[in-house]
Amino acid sequence: MPQAKIVLKNCGIIDPKDINTYRTKDGFKALDKARGMTAAGVINEIKTSGLRGRGGAGFPCGVKWEGARNSPGDEKYVICNADEGEVGTFKDRYIIQNDPFSLVEGLAIAGYTVGARQGYIYLRAEYSYLLGLLRGAIDQAQEAGYLDGFNIAIRLGAGAYICGEESALMESIEGKRGESRYRPPFPTVAGLWQKPTTINNVETLMNVAQIVLNGGGWYAQMGTERSKGTKVFSVSGDVARPGVYEMVLGSPLRELVEGLAGAKDIKMIQIGGATGRIIPYDMIDTPLAFESYLGAGAITVYNKSRDVLDIVGRTMEFLAEESCGKCTPCRQGMEWMVEVLGRFHRGEGLARDIGYMEVLADTMALSSLCGLGQAAPFAVVDTLKYFRSDYEKGISGK
Amino acid sequence: MGDITLTMNGAAISGREGMTILEVARENGIDIPTLCYLKELTPIGACRLCVVEVEGSRMLVGSCHTPIAPGMVIQTHSPKVLEVRRVLIELMMASHPDSCIVCEAANCCELRMRATDLEVGLPRFRTRLRYFPLEDENSNIIRDMSKCILCRRCVTACYNTEGKKMFSLAYRGFESKVIYDLDKPVGSDETCRDCDTCISLCPTGALRQPIKFGQRKKGPVLYVKG
Repeated sequence: MPQAKIVLKNCGIIDPKDINTYRTKDGFKALDKARGMTAAGVINEIKTSGLRGRGGAGFPCGVKWEGARNSPGDEKYVICNADEGEVGTFKDRYIIQNDPFSLVEGLAIAGYTVGARQGYIYLRAEYSYLLGLLRGAIDQAQEAGYLDGFNIAIRLGAGAYICGEESALMESIEGKRGESRYRPPFPTVAGLWQKPTTINNVETLMNVAQIVLNGGGWYAQMGTERSKGTKVFSVSGDVARPGVYEMVLGSPLRELVEGLAGAKDIKMIQIGGATGRIIPYDMIDTPLAFESYLGAGAITVYNKSRDVLDIVGRTMEFLAEESCGKCTPCRQGMEWMVEVLGRFHRGEGLARDIGYMEVLADTMALSSLCGLGQAAPFAVVDTLKYFRSDYEKGISGK
Repeated sequence: MGDITLTMNGAAISGREGMTILEVARENGIDIPTLCYLKELTPIGACRLCVVEVEGSRMLVGSCHTPIAPGMVIQTHSPKVLEVRRVLIELMMASHPDSCIVCEAANCCELRMRATDLEVGLPRFRTRLRYFPLEDENSNIIRDMSKCILCRRCVTACYNTEGKKMFSLAYRGFESKVIYDLDKPVGSDETCRDCDTCISLCPTGALRQPIKFGQRKKGPVLYVKG
């Protein structure tokens, strides 16, 4: 079971500027259906489907919605995270460009289910050219009467990677410095303005309408035991055909990278962007699922001409630059990593620093405040595991 | 009496609802080291020094901001936790200047005390230093941001106890800095009063009072173990 189109069903088929073309493709039928159901019914359907968050963490969507629904409070919010900051992902951009209506519908269903009157779409600053299109879609849905009692506002980011992290994103919407918060309390209890909030990735919300329309059981037929449905992958790097591909979860990585994207002479593959895992070519038969490697679905392929230390060094430089600077392990640890990797790259590394890197990576993963710091050392940890000889070559005097 | 029971370091203890792990630990005589934590104020959660091991959690959790839950099994001083705390101290020292010997805060420096308690050895993770010029024009406060470890106590305390917002944060990553106004030095004619709140709370020598003639160094002499 390779490709399947659930999320990208309407992409290239409907006119993203015209709601009527979306209507002919069962548009907004799911929203009507959901409004005929109880909130518990919708949550049940989502839970049956086994839909997990597509932003990288893979948190069960139904559980999140239920949490926010059951949290006491008269005011609740739903947020769509369109701050697609992960290096090498461009699936959300493609989705919004081609099918903004499904997103609006998904968010409206989320709003109805959770009991929110206000929804936000947090769009990254680099996608500001999509603002008109997205606003047009919201306005058209509003005029057609689909968004009665529910208001959607768009908030633009200001170019910070950390603001794709849910709590930093909320701080940013509140007008504060984009920094992660400690958890608990989780957003479902105290999120935006300390009110119960659900925050979902664009792709997660794209699945919602389909699930409501066709039933959770239908959706749960696809995928593996713990990863249901399909996933949109952004394939880039040393491939012949880079682009957006949607595949059933559990499909082998080889099929995507070599088959669909046409990569040759692969040295290693980075799955999940800068905070993702790096695997060597030997492991290309790994299935793509939450059980193994997935992240936000960024697949960056590197061929044999690439230098491991160069890639890892640049990844770390990016993360050091984008760290918010709140917690010690991430702020100080990234700086040290960058400096040491630079030394190895120049052939001035010290043998003992390899051991120190492992110690530091452990500490960062265990004690950082948010996902950025916890996942930041993955690139170093993985390349130390699979490409250790490259590091050893960088030791001074060798 | 307590209504939530949990296990800490193998012993059953109890606490009241809404208490954090740190509060329960301190009430029961278990000392978890902290740096950014300020009693009674909103937790900051930035230094991460107070992390503890909670069974069932993949990561270590910050004890100063995590509320207790029934049946929690907590290890506050396991080898894993101690190693992480040591690395964290080393990271804070990584860009801290080596000027303890001439620093006025040396004998009452919390960073140094925590480092001594945890028997931190030679720093493994030296990075470039953060250098900022000394701000010594004001008659009430001297700021040396080179020594700042970004615990944010001054920011929180100024806002929460004095109701002022003299300090805030700017820049990101390693370049993060506690700034005054729009990142200008504390000058001689500022509105900042001599309340000393931030100075008394600073865990390092980053904030201090201008030394007066004949005044001695504060605190007992600190002996470094090892």
